[in-house]
Amino acid sequence: MISFSQVTKRYPGGHEALSGVDLAIEQGELVFLAGHSGAGKSTLLKLIAAIERPTSGVVSVSGQNINRLSQRAVPYLRRNIGLVFQDHKLLFDRNVIDNVMLPLDIAGFDRRESLKRARAVIDKVGLLNREKANPISLSGGEQQRLCIARALVSRPALLLADEPTGNLDAGYAADIMAMFRDFHQVGTTLVIATHDDRAITALGGRTLRLDHGKVERASA
Amino acid sequence: MIGWLRHQKHALAAALHRLRVQPVATLLTALAMGVAISLPSGLYLALGNLGRLAGDLPAQPEISVFLDAEASAAHKQAIAARLQQPDIAQARYVPKEDALAALSAAQDLTDITAGLTQNPLPDAWVVHSRASSREERARVAADLGRLPGVAEAHLDSQWAERLQAALVIGRSVVWLLAGLFAIALIAISGNAIRALVLARRDEIQVSRLIGATDRHIRRPFLYLGALQGLLGGLAAGGVLALAAWVLRAPVEQLAGLYGSTFHLLPPTAAEMAIVLGLTTLSGWLGAWLTVTRTLRQVMLAR
Repeated sequence: MISFSQVTKRYPGGHEALSGVDLAIEQGELVFLAGHSGAGKSTLLKLIAAIERPTSGVVSVSGQNINRLSQRAVPYLRRNIGLVFQDHKLLFDRNVIDNVMLPLDIAGFDRRESLKRARAVIDKVGLLNREKANPISLSGGEQQRLCIARALVSRPALLLADEPTGNLDAGYAADIMAMFRDFHQVGTTLVIATHDDRAITALGGRTLRLDHGKVERASA
Repeated sequence: MIGWLRHQKHALAAALHRLRVQPVATLLTALAMGVAISLPSGLYLALGNLGRLAGDLPAQPEISVFLDAEASAAHKQAIAARLQQPDIAQARYVPKEDALAALSAAQDLTDITAGLTQNPLPDAWVVHSRASSREERARVAADLGRLPGVAEAHLDSQWAERLQAALVIGRSVVWLLAGLFAIALIAISGNAIRALVLARRDEIQVSRLIGATDRHIRRPFLYLGALQGLLGGLAAGGVLALAAWVLRAPVEQLAGLYGSTFHLLPPTAAEMAIVLGLTTLSGWLGAWLTVTRTLRQVMLAR
């Protein structure tokens, strides 16, 4: 589903975030990206979602070459990818359910259908009783679950999560990871960047360890 | 198609909501636009009314042909024949008796004319030529002046030409002002929209990350700009209505002093529709320019 071939990403200013990365992720896989901060985990995720373009090498997602993807085609690629951010990127000018409905509005869903889907996914992440609340009144763990709900509402085949448990205490982190396991079991491909080794051992799956922009080793 | 309509509806609803939650900003922008547009449209209306007032007077300059007092019957016949020719649109004979009668009636000079022992006025023809330019008319007048039995041919064109020229200048000024204020309108709309785009930077960035096209992001702002423009046009209508209300009584009083029943005419429905259409278009254009530019900046700042 995702393949990197000799991918290098150099940022303006000369910092090389990734150097000569080769990797392949199959459909339905659960993959952890591990490594110290600055190892290139976030950059790798950004390349998959076409938020950044590689300096050299080829990134391909669902058979599409990201290098050659036109600016116009990017939105349609992103609609098939759920993104979970460490800082949640929620909108505080609208309530929980409207935040979750945003991807569906963008994709042009009928409002009634959107509401139905949004409620279902909010229920799944355990926020149904907070539907009308403003996200600013939610705890960190709840905000992260809301971010996950928004990423999942359009039923993407691929979910990318950047440090989803980074700011959370152990209890919340375990909740979130359990949720990811459920999605994995229904066939979603997950790529999770984390430095939380407890989560990795708890969930299993493959681990790609990055070190200074290189894939260090792959372990099952 | 249904998806497209749904997007339009969604964007329109979002734009209306945005206008509603900021009533003061909306009102101020509409007023700024309204005042700007009311200047050229007010001038246009004033010129229209002035033109209507001038319309009662002969639009085509006349040539007055005064006959010699001693002109013979043969000369008079020759002149009448000359006035049948194709370069003459219309010729009306005014015998000196009629002229004197009209003079005493019109100017209340009965006392004076009654004291005259003989009629000092000449026989005359009032001629409309078919000539379209000033030079041609002058040539026709000179030609008539050379006919035997004609004392003088006078082209009464100066005042009419001056008025026409003044109205032409006035109309050019209207278009010039309209152009300038359209640019002002685009700037006002763009500025208002720019503030809104920057205020919603987070939403734009998140929307991009989860698959919104630029068109989708732009759409509510375009509706917003168009609606602002429309409100601006309506505000201009309000300003003009107020001005007309203030001016109506004094204008009618002035017209009354001249014995005229002249009164101010409001714009026609078509004229109002054009103004509203243009302001809506300007608002949309201003929004488009700003959003496109600001989106590029937001993208670069990612």
